[in-house]
Amino acid sequence: MDFVNPLLLAGVALAAVPIILHLVMKQKPRHLEFPALRFVKKRREANQRRLRWRQILLLAARVAAICLLAIALARPSLKMAGGIAGREAPVAAVMVFDTGPRMQYRRDNRTRLEEAQQQALWLLSQVPEGSQVAVIDGTTGTAVFQVDLGSAKQRVERLDTHPTARPAAELMEEALRLLSESDKERKELYVFTDLARAAWPEDDRKPWAERMESLGDAGFYLIDVGVQEPQNFALGEIRLSSDTIARHSTARITTSISLEGSAGERGVELYVTGADGKPQKRSQETAQLADGDSHEVEFPLSGLEQGTHQGFVRIVGEDGLAIDDTRFFTIEALPAWDVLIAATPPVELHALYLAEALAPESFRRNGTARFNCTTIPSDQLAEQDLDRFAAVCLVDPPALSADAWQKLAIYAAEGGGVAIFLGRNAAASASFNEGPAQDLLPGKLTKIVDHATHFLPDEQFVHPLWSKFRDLSGIPWGQFPVNRHWDMPPLVPDASVLARYADGGAALVERPVGRGRVLVMTTPISDPPSNDAWNQLPSGIDAWPFVMLANESTLYLVGSHAARLNYVSGQTVVIPVGRPGLSSAVLTTPQGDEFRQNIDPEREALVITATETPGQYQVRAGSADDALSTGFSVNLPSTLTSLQRLDEAEMKTTFGESGYQLVRDREEIDRQLSAGRVGRELYGWLIALAAVVLAAEYWLANRFYRPSNIEASAAR
Amino acid sequence: MTTAETYLKPEVAQRIARLDLRAQFIVKGFLQGLHASPFHGFSVEFSEHRKYTQGDDPEDIDWLVFAKTDKYYVKKFEAETNITGYLVMDLSRSMDYTYRQELTKFDYSICLAAALCYLMVLQQDPVGLITFDEKLRDCLPPRSKRTQLGNVLSHLSRLKPTGQTGIARSLTQIAAMLRHRSLLMVFSDLLADPDEVISSLRRLRHGGHDVILFHVLDEAEVHFPFDGMVELEEPESEETLRVDAANFREDYLAELEEFRERFRRECFRIGIDYVPLDTSMQFDKALTEYLMSRRARG
Repeated sequence: MDFVNPLLLAGVALAAVPIILHLVMKQKPRHLEFPALRFVKKRREANQRRLRWRQILLLAARVAAICLLAIALARPSLKMAGGIAGREAPVAAVMVFDTGPRMQYRRDNRTRLEEAQQQALWLLSQVPEGSQVAVIDGTTGTAVFQVDLGSAKQRVERLDTHPTARPAAELMEEALRLLSESDKERKELYVFTDLARAAWPEDDRKPWAERMESLGDAGFYLIDVGVQEPQNFALGEIRLSSDTIARHSTARITTSISLEGSAGERGVELYVTGADGKPQKRSQETAQLADGDSHEVEFPLSGLEQGTHQGFVRIVGEDGLAIDDTRFFTIEALPAWDVLIAATPPVELHALYLAEALAPESFRRNGTARFNCTTIPSDQLAEQDLDRFAAVCLVDPPALSADAWQKLAIYAAEGGGVAIFLGRNAAASASFNEGPAQDLLPGKLTKIVDHATHFLPDEQFVHPLWSKFRDLSGIPWGQFPVNRHWDMPPLVPDASVLARYADGGAALVERPVGRGRVLVMTTPISDPPSNDAWNQLPSGIDAWPFVMLANESTLYLVGSHAARLNYVSGQTVVIPVGRPGLSSAVLTTPQGDEFRQNIDPEREALVITATETPGQYQVRAGSADDALSTGFSVNLPSTLTSLQRLDEAEMKTTFGESGYQLVRDREEIDRQLSAGRVGRELYGWLIALAAVVLAAEYWLANRFYRPSNIEASAAR
Repeated sequence: MTTAETYLKPEVAQRIARLDLRAQFIVKGFLQGLHASPFHGFSVEFSEHRKYTQGDDPEDIDWLVFAKTDKYYVKKFEAETNITGYLVMDLSRSMDYTYRQELTKFDYSICLAAALCYLMVLQQDPVGLITFDEKLRDCLPPRSKRTQLGNVLSHLSRLKPTGQTGIARSLTQIAAMLRHRSLLMVFSDLLADPDEVISSLRRLRHGGHDVILFHVLDEAEVHFPFDGMVELEEPESEETLRVDAANFREDYLAELEEFRERFRRECFRIGIDYVPLDTSMQFDKALTEYLMSRRARG
């Protein structure tokens, strides 16, 4: 037990006063003549005994009241954790700040981080002299105690939100490490957080309070700067139909608007940066939302000329958290990719399905086809200049010459994409199973499997080729039977199966060759509908899965999937430059700052790691006639801006059943801090107890020494 | 207060007269309803014979009976009208006590005695006065003349209660002294051994006397109104006791009540009227209430 004013304990000595008065200052009796003394004499003994008890009782009450008052004025306190440090004893204090983007939530014209800073600065003013203070936030590396309180205050004042803050678990581990290393008796951990689920994901939920207790005399203060009932409209992740599109084709930009708080209506606008560098509104939608609702918003974007286009989707109006009201995107419009399709004559017939799937006639006519297909007979492949093509597709190839296989292998090794659709023209012969053909094919052709089956892609859709299939469900592969396919086990070690048949056979196999890649499908896509057809993939009714598969496979081969222009904060951005002479590029950040970045000569790419700030980045390099002008966008993960708070059960799993003090305002902090450092103040209880004792004394005194009726009436 | 008029205030006499006592008691005396008044003398009817005892007037011996039985018998006669009353006043020191410095117990008793004396004289009943402390002090023979009231009161006014208490002994002496049945109106605070007092009262009753015992206490003795530490001194023995008055009140009152209750019980048993009074009670009212209650008992 500690005392704030221990000197006042001397007041306990005043308890001697009633005792002295009782013993020494006995009341001088009034002398009265009283003839009826005989009645007094008879009961005197018993009365005296009773009177003595009453006096002792009253004396005890008075002594107790004085002692209680004296002790109360000395302000005793009960230590909660058995510590021995007093209020002024130095402590080791670690302040952990949640600096996630949610902390920008503004209420009463103050962000959550500003609120936390204000509380922390006040707390620092309460820290005893000689204390060790450390400030840890999401950007801190190895945490150390600050040199002095002044530097700790500066550190707090300079805190800012950070989209790629370190996980809370790491910060807590760091804080516990620091505290365990400190030699101070009293250790205090202050965690400033809005208690959002996003700040304490399930992996970070450890009973921190219990771990704190292992440090001995430790106080764990969870300072809740969050808002109980936030009002926030937020945009979800932005999704593009593709980061690269053919010029003049239509891109689809999808996002969602969600609401936490009371119902309301909001407009969502699509802006694209024009040639003058100013955003131009291209589309708008309105969403009516209730608390917890989420509404999908899709904007078609067409008419983009060749080049990099940047824009953003934003919510009209303001709310507490502005950072999740805008989502950025970058999209690149490219000329159509040249694709060479080699097929057996009649070429137009055999290449028809693939050519129409890649570049439908209507698209070709209005110039929005993403592929420009050239069809040739297979036997002319050896003479063809392949370098101008982004991909080469062999449709049901017959036995090719060794030169042709050789040429294709070189083409692939230099980065080209080759698709081979095996069919009735293939044979388990030397042309396919030996020589340069085996540099491309993932295995030897062994036999034709002749029974009905169907495509069965990997359900996880992990391969980039299947990325568009992920959002679809119930793809009717069963409606497009495969009656015959080639079997070619065993596959070479570096081959991987992207899709199988229902019977287990490999249907689509990828084999990397040099810098390029080869896709082999073990059934053709050129058979017209007939009883003898190997499959009905292209010829079935409403054969959209085939069209999608053909497009995605070809896009994969031409490297479209690798061209990524939209990132999440903190991800490393790689921009292929493709110009061997360039050594550096200028990066313009969303804030308008320009930095010169070196180009990785080996990868011929610009590697950018400083991508924390959400927004649009531009990259420029090269001279005017061969200038590289591109860009990319960075967005926050939508989970980071969710304001949903931990519920009671989650609080227990995150911090423990007890052992931490959840405080919200300065008064609570002060009370809990006093309870922690000095102990729980007993002043109030003692004063209350003294009042009870005094009341008891008053009651007893009145009861014992009730004035007589006669005297009372005489007084009246 | 030195004159009879002081004690017998006109308003008191008037108040008592208003009771129309005369109408009630005219035939056998106003106290006849309470006690038969044995009056020996002329123009009275023969009542009974009793054995002659020493001290009887030899004139009362019925010689005819002696002739027949060879024994001395005395004729007894029942009074047609009056009884002889004696006002028996306690003169012990304790009777001089007053807490409020107004009426002492003795003064209060004189007031009562004066009223009763007035009543009896008014009805031409002989009334006498006996005073005592340790022993009998004065005795004023009973007279029924109107001057008797003045005599009694002037005698009382000259007295000062200063002696020790000897109630039992004095009453026993009175019992021995009075040869005729009388009405004894005893005024005392009874602060003596109750056993002895009750025993002496029994003796009085045994002697054929009617007794009205006015137990007069001071207001303070009945209510014990003191507060704080007090040192109480018994005036006769000068014995002192220290008590915390407020704390003692309950015990005291219980003890007093027990004392009074004992007298009430014993007096009832032996046929004595016990009238507990204190100086805070208006004595005329107290007396009136007592007389009314007697009349009701009839």
